[in-house]
Amino acid sequence: MLPAISDLDFEKFREFFYRKTGIQFEASKRYFVDRRLAERVEITACKDFRSYFTKLRFEASGAELQVLTNLMTVNETYFFREEYQFQCLVRSILPEIVSRKRDRGPIRIWVIPSSSGEEPYSIAIYLMEHWTGIAEWDVEIVSSDIDTTILAQANQGLYSERSVHHLPVPLLRKYFTRVRDGYQLCDDVRETVEFTRVNLSDRADTRPYRDFDVVFCRNLLIYFDDVSRKAAAETFYDALKPGGVICLGHSESMSRISSLFTVRRFPEAIVYQKPQETR
Amino acid sequence: MGFIKHREVRPVTLDGRKRPRDCAGLIAALDDDNPTARRWAARDLTDLTDCPGSSAALVTRLGREPDNSVREVILTTLTLRGDDVAVAGLVGCLGSEDAALRNEAVEAMKQLPDQVAPIIGGLLADADPDVRIFAVNILESLRHPEVESWLVSVIDRDPHVNVCATAADLLGEVGSQAAHPALLRLRQRFADEPYIQFATELALKRIVG
Repeated sequence: MLPAISDLDFEKFREFFYRKTGIQFEASKRYFVDRRLAERVEITACKDFRSYFTKLRFEASGAELQVLTNLMTVNETYFFREEYQFQCLVRSILPEIVSRKRDRGPIRIWVIPSSSGEEPYSIAIYLMEHWTGIAEWDVEIVSSDIDTTILAQANQGLYSERSVHHLPVPLLRKYFTRVRDGYQLCDDVRETVEFTRVNLSDRADTRPYRDFDVVFCRNLLIYFDDVSRKAAAETFYDALKPGGVICLGHSESMSRISSLFTVRRFPEAIVYQKPQETR
Repeated sequence: MGFIKHREVRPVTLDGRKRPRDCAGLIAALDDDNPTARRWAARDLTDLTDCPGSSAALVTRLGREPDNSVREVILTTLTLRGDDVAVAGLVGCLGSEDAALRNEAVEAMKQLPDQVAPIIGGLLADADPDVRIFAVNILESLRHPEVESWLVSVIDRDPHVNVCATAADLLGEVGSQAAHPALLRLRQRFADEPYIQFATELALKRIVG
């Protein structure tokens, strides 16, 4: 039988986890959280939640916190999810970025959260298939996640039927090989993305992320509370070049989070732009 | 041309930094001529909890910061800190002539229920009715169990019609049956004020359902 998690334990953990990751669990997530906490108490051979919590807080390596974070984060996505934004990228955003560029440096795209890689790889495939500029410009795709297990999975590039169900069949045939456990992404695409571990709520983690032209941060900020969301918006502001844009999930709006960005209404999608000049 | 990869994220080095990233250096950078340097200083001060005087420096800078992007970061840093100096600084902004700054302070204080709770009584009793209205605005999304009783207290005692109207509007959104008698009393107290009649009627309808 798994150890019990009391109301007080849940509150203590919720507060701690929020401070560390910016992710806030509502009371409705109690079962989800309790179950995972109880499993970790048992697996780590701690005698109860209290001793496990002490380990979690004071362990110098932070290894257990990382394991728990991996368990607590939601990783659900698929190839070509919200495809209209990729259309917007190739038809509207990139042409504008290219026309503004004064150097021959790479166009830099940051995708966070990476999850199991469907989104950054979708961008790479989309650029290869639909953007002629790929012949003229270098593109660097960096994709980050707080969950190290999911990053390893992303690097591997092995996907289930569900992950690829939105892909047009010709693209599935072109870039994937059917294997016993699902679909293996080809090495040419796997090599287009650099995966990194980043906690978006840790300013020390995000500090090196700068000079991006485009950020994709879809369906992540919905898990954050207002202050963490605002801090994340400020991180993206500093990560973008002037004129760079951020694409959020279809139900998210930067206007409700921060006034730092300008709304850009392209025919395909609404995105948020860092002003060219600071105000 | 095509896809390129850097094998590791390039660290940000101290090369080219005008000031060290320690407490004194970051406080000094809050007054840098370059808004980007000021914004990064405010951002980096979030992690520097043992930095005496930094909350006061952030508050001082906030009052005269012309760049919106720097102001936003200062406000977030103050909110994340939520110490007494930060909260007092936000309270000070409620009396500012700058409407944007006042609204930003209200939004920041909404995120600090535990820190705002001990001082909300004082704000709701401020001599300036505008400050009292801002205090009611803070209650709008303050996650605190006393919000309704504070609002009831406002509509029972505040002499200013606009303060009471703002509180009645909000009770229509967050009030329960507990606010019902106070709303009826407010209707009587401001019997000649059409807006109060409208706002209380609406609130009562919503509460009764």
